[in-house]
Amino acid sequence: MLPHMDAAYTLARYWTRNEQDAEDIVQDAYLRALRYFDGYRGESEASARAWLLTIVRNTAYTARKRGRADALTTEYDDTEHSLAAVDDRPDGPQQQRDAKETLGRALDRLATEFREVIVLRELQGLSYKEISEVTGVPVGTVMSRLSRARARLQEVLRDEGGV
Amino acid sequence: MTHPGYESQVDLLLDGELTPADARELEAHITGCAECTRLRDERLALRAAITAGVPTFQAPDTLRDRVRATLAAASAETASAETARTERAGAEARARPRPNRVSLGALWRPMALAASLVIVAVGSWNLALRQANHDRLAGEVLASHVRSLMPGHLTDVPSSDQHTVKPWFNGKLDYSPPVHDLAAKGYPLLGGRLDYVNGRPVAVLTYGRRQHLINVFLWPTTQGQSDAPNARDRQGYHLRHWTTPEYMYWVASDLNLAELQDFVRLLQQAD
Repeated sequence: MLPHMDAAYTLARYWTRNEQDAEDIVQDAYLRALRYFDGYRGESEASARAWLLTIVRNTAYTARKRGRADALTTEYDDTEHSLAAVDDRPDGPQQQRDAKETLGRALDRLATEFREVIVLRELQGLSYKEISEVTGVPVGTVMSRLSRARARLQEVLRDEGGV
Repeated sequence: MTHPGYESQVDLLLDGELTPADARELEAHITGCAECTRLRDERLALRAAITAGVPTFQAPDTLRDRVRATLAAASAETASAETARTERAGAEARARPRPNRVSLGALWRPMALAASLVIVAVGSWNLALRQANHDRLAGEVLASHVRSLMPGHLTDVPSSDQHTVKPWFNGKLDYSPPVHDLAAKGYPLLGGRLDYVNGRPVAVLTYGRRQHLINVFLWPTTQGQSDAPNARDRQGYHLRHWTTPEYMYWVASDLNLAELQDFVRLLQQAD
């Protein structure tokens, strides 16, 4: 009945790295989707999904900004202009760093803007153009973020002894 | 590192972002370049590792219930605001016999409206999507049909023998399309070709009727997907669409309608 909810939930899970927050984001996003539906002018099933993921992503983004303001904290800042692909924020769900780092963990530790392009491209199969729409950055930026995120994940894979 | 430009090119290739011509060119380069081959293999290994090791999630049922309830409540809010407005207008119109009486109907209506709004919103969304999808597919089928009429584009395997045409698709598609010879009914098979429709390679079978050509496009239905038969005419061509439990069918032709109906019926019976 509710379209694309698994995709929405997956994106929210990786964005927030937390089940409860992800559920709140999805609920909020569908509510917004209902309100904005009149403005939806998409043509295909795929563009409906991209449209919904855009709302999920913006909802998550806004929620995080608000959360930060509430907490009055500046301890961590992964801005859009961050140069570090790796997010070392200690409060992620994978905070205990075992000696052996798995790919999933490496993904969780990527900064959000790198993590989201991997999720949208590798897990949800969006095109560069769709990713650019969802994340609100130019296609060129999508490409460079994907490239750096992959390079980082590849290092992890190599250390695992995979390649 | 020897030619940094190729790293992003390899990503574009693997992400399906290159045009077919550019993709072929790059693939040719990669074959002869150890550096690029290594890069590509690493990327493929990474993709495989992500597929194997990084899960997608299913939204829990509790979340679905929550969202449904939220949407219903939101619709109810809008609806009751509507109702309040009409009630007010109604009360004024009725002068003032019983101004403060709240009818049962007034309470019940927003609830029903809310429930139906959610259903309508989601339902019309799906409907609109299916409609838009049909429009797009019809456009693709028509374009392919018109292209096939240009010299040399009609068939990849010209043959009136169904036992030649059907096996020709082996190894070119991930399904083996049913091929029927309708020559005895006046629609000889002319051959088959590969085409690209709906984001996938599909089988196209070509039939003739006097000077007219009929292109039959078919590909497997995705799970649980079936929709109403569909007929439309564009640019002087007739398009017909239907689904069987196994295949999606699109037919394009300039044949007159009566004969095309007849052909479609024969094809459906043959299945």
